[in-house]
Amino acid sequence: MPGIIINGVEIEFDEDGFMIVPDLWNEDVARALAASEGITELTDDHWKIINYLRDYFKQYHIAPMVRKLCKETGCSLKYIYDLFPSGPAKGACKLAGLPKPTGCV
Amino acid sequence: MPEYKGMVQPVRATLEEMRKIHIEPVPDELKPEKAIEYLDQIRKKFRSFVMAMESCTKCGQCAENCHTYLGTRDPNNIPTNRAELIRKIYKRYFTLEGRWFGKLVGAEDISLDVIEQWYSYFYQCSQCRRCAHVCPFGIDTCEVTFIGRQLLHWLGITPKLHASVGAAMERVGNHTNLPKPGIVDTLEFMSEEIMDEFGVEVEFPVDKPDSDIMYIPSSADFLLNPYTLMGAGMFFTYIGANWTIPSTVTEAGNFGLLFDQYWTQRGNVMRLLNAAQELGIKKIVWGECGHGWRAAKMYIPSLADRPVRWPIVHIHDEIANMIRNKELKLDPSKNSKPVTLHDPCNYVRACGLNENMRTIIRAVTTDFREMTPHGMDNFCCGGGSAILFDDPEMYQRRILLSQKKAEQVRATGVGKNGDGILCAPCSICKAQLYPMVEEHELGVEVKGLVDLVGKALVWK
Amino acid sequence: MKLLIGQILPYITVTLFTLGILYRLGRWAGARIIHNITLSPWLQTNGQVAVRIGSEAFLFRNLFRFDLALWAGAFLMHFALLNVLGGHIVGFGFLGEQFALIPGLGISPELSKEMSNLLGTTFGILLFLCLLYLLIRRLTLTKVKQVTKPSDNLWLIYLLVLVGVGDIMRLFEQSFGVEYQLVRDYIVALALFKPVVGMELLNNGFFLVHFLLVQILLIVFPFSKLMHLFGMFAERWIVNRVYKDPAPGLPNVDVAAARAAGIGLPSDAAEEGV
Repeated sequence: MPGIIINGVEIEFDEDGFMIVPDLWNEDVARALAASEGITELTDDHWKIINYLRDYFKQYHIAPMVRKLCKETGCSLKYIYDLFPSGPAKGACKLAGLPKPTGCV
Repeated sequence: MPEYKGMVQPVRATLEEMRKIHIEPVPDELKPEKAIEYLDQIRKKFRSFVMAMESCTKCGQCAENCHTYLGTRDPNNIPTNRAELIRKIYKRYFTLEGRWFGKLVGAEDISLDVIEQWYSYFYQCSQCRRCAHVCPFGIDTCEVTFIGRQLLHWLGITPKLHASVGAAMERVGNHTNLPKPGIVDTLEFMSEEIMDEFGVEVEFPVDKPDSDIMYIPSSADFLLNPYTLMGAGMFFTYIGANWTIPSTVTEAGNFGLLFDQYWTQRGNVMRLLNAAQELGIKKIVWGECGHGWRAAKMYIPSLADRPVRWPIVHIHDEIANMIRNKELKLDPSKNSKPVTLHDPCNYVRACGLNENMRTIIRAVTTDFREMTPHGMDNFCCGGGSAILFDDPEMYQRRILLSQKKAEQVRATGVGKNGDGILCAPCSICKAQLYPMVEEHELGVEVKGLVDLVGKALVWK
Repeated sequence: MKLLIGQILPYITVTLFTLGILYRLGRWAGARIIHNITLSPWLQTNGQVAVRIGSEAFLFRNLFRFDLALWAGAFLMHFALLNVLGGHIVGFGFLGEQFALIPGLGISPELSKEMSNLLGTTFGILLFLCLLYLLIRRLTLTKVKQVTKPSDNLWLIYLLVLVGVGDIMRLFEQSFGVEYQLVRDYIVALALFKPVVGMELLNNGFFLVHFLLVQILLIVFPFSKLMHLFGMFAERWIVNRVYKDPAPGLPNVDVAAARAAGIGLPSDAAEEGV
């Protein structure tokens, strides 16, 4: 996925569409990424999850356990898949500007 | 998309990513020549590799016994043909028959195309060793793909997934980049969850000095497998153990085994031994991870840079032993859904966990049904050796590679009512099977074995 | 030409065969068993290892378990081959009278010769048929076709010719057979570096071809896939060996005491339980 220019800043992505420099994240980046994931509109529930992921990542430098994400946001895993068709790791984390999860995930 | 002359290939690590794991990629025009040089170095060391190169008679028995071939029907995915991708080069440069008779015996000159073939097919091999198990000679194709992947790594060709895991291992000591605050927070969350669901108080001590037992969980448990983590915590609490989880090496796996045994794998071994020494522990207990358990049990003795003073056992070994000694009070009716066991390849063909897993599952479930074949004859889940690639072509391959497993699960009938349990006590198996049971619509939920133990414990 | 094949080549053959095999075995021994890659469930004693390696090497255990059709062809082929080779040694060595030498059976030398002939012919034909079966298998079964190199088929054809010529000498003994005594004297003379006798054997075209093919086979043997004879044992010794698990048991763990103390139970619940 080629880089795009948002608000005058060039944002680069890796082959899987994850941000190479997560610090450059802003809401417009999330919207651009949503379009690439086939999500037409970011609803309040989308933002709730994105913001939770960002806050957690800021504090712990890692994405939360999926179970914790569900519990803290009150969204079932199935609902998260409805919101982000690629799932919590490859969909929601991507939109929140988190790095791509590695390992056996 | 990653494809080379019609061959599927996983996404590669970039130059920077390779440098992070201490590899300076060889320029393309030098790759063939360097490949021969590295192959010549390594072939003289490993007898398992020499024998695989020099004693196959091409009887063809491995073909129908390889889930990769069964799923793809690609002739290069027949184990002996997969090995032939290196063997043809080995013959050409290092044997008399190859030098004299060339094509007649299947020898071939090295070229960039051959190296690209290696990359495609060695990363479709799950290194499950079923071919070694069925081969009349015991030829282990896994040894060939280990060395093939090592050569590729030295040339600078490594999947992004494996390279990023290698970098994470060096940075924080686990595959998923979990730093200590994240570890502690997740474990506290686990304690709360256990209290909510089971009504017991379980603490997960991290880096506790003077512990007796060091428990090594899979880092994937911290993201995806809560019940495996909870089950282990409940077990250690139940038996009153003085235990701890080390934050410097919160990882049962070791991807080094799968692409770089010389540096990445060794590095993680030293990290583990350092942690054991610093925490003053007496015994190391391993969590649910197939390749990682093989790497720990069978490779630490030959990779360690000092005497290993701590016995290393698997949590299943200890649980099974306690069940045999009737020390645990278990209520199998807590797991009354139909359940079948997927044997992780490394457990049953490399680590001898066969009987112990069955001792446990029979004690903690009421409706256990064996797959056919099972135990040491079992087929891989299709994700073995962490070929958990998620770019579209490779993901399609994963579906094909898990086809045999899907047939096996279906035949047990556990998912007929949509409420079955597929017990797969290995993080790679779990990561592969979570999406695959959906793709194949198997009607089962994927669980670890410790998960089921945790649920069945009777506390009073 | 006959001088070359009958008197010079045999020495070259034996030398190359021996040195070649030593070279290959040395090459294998030079590489080490670095990591323990033994297959589980593990064998617990060296006796079990001997039984496992023996049953793989002599009974083809794995072929039997996973591919009965291949097992039938491969096992019978090797079994017949073993008997044919053994038959050559004792048949020529004792001129067909070997069975008469077994005490207590009361077999006459004449009967022994007949038995020797019958067994030799049977195994010779069986060997030929099995080789043919294996060749047809290579040419027809998709999965085997896909792994076969030209040399694999050529070896089978080579052996078919070699065995076929031998079978002709057996089946049409009157016309094409050889006299055992002559062969024995010829071989003994060669082996003892004595002046050669029995060179007239080589006037028999079938014998000449058979003998030449055997020698070429022996020369190529150490550098070919036929080394799987030794490879079997070398490879098995890597994957089938004794391994013992460390003893189970966790340090300072007393489950009964822990349960009596109610560890893990919340304080209020623990009281309830008491």
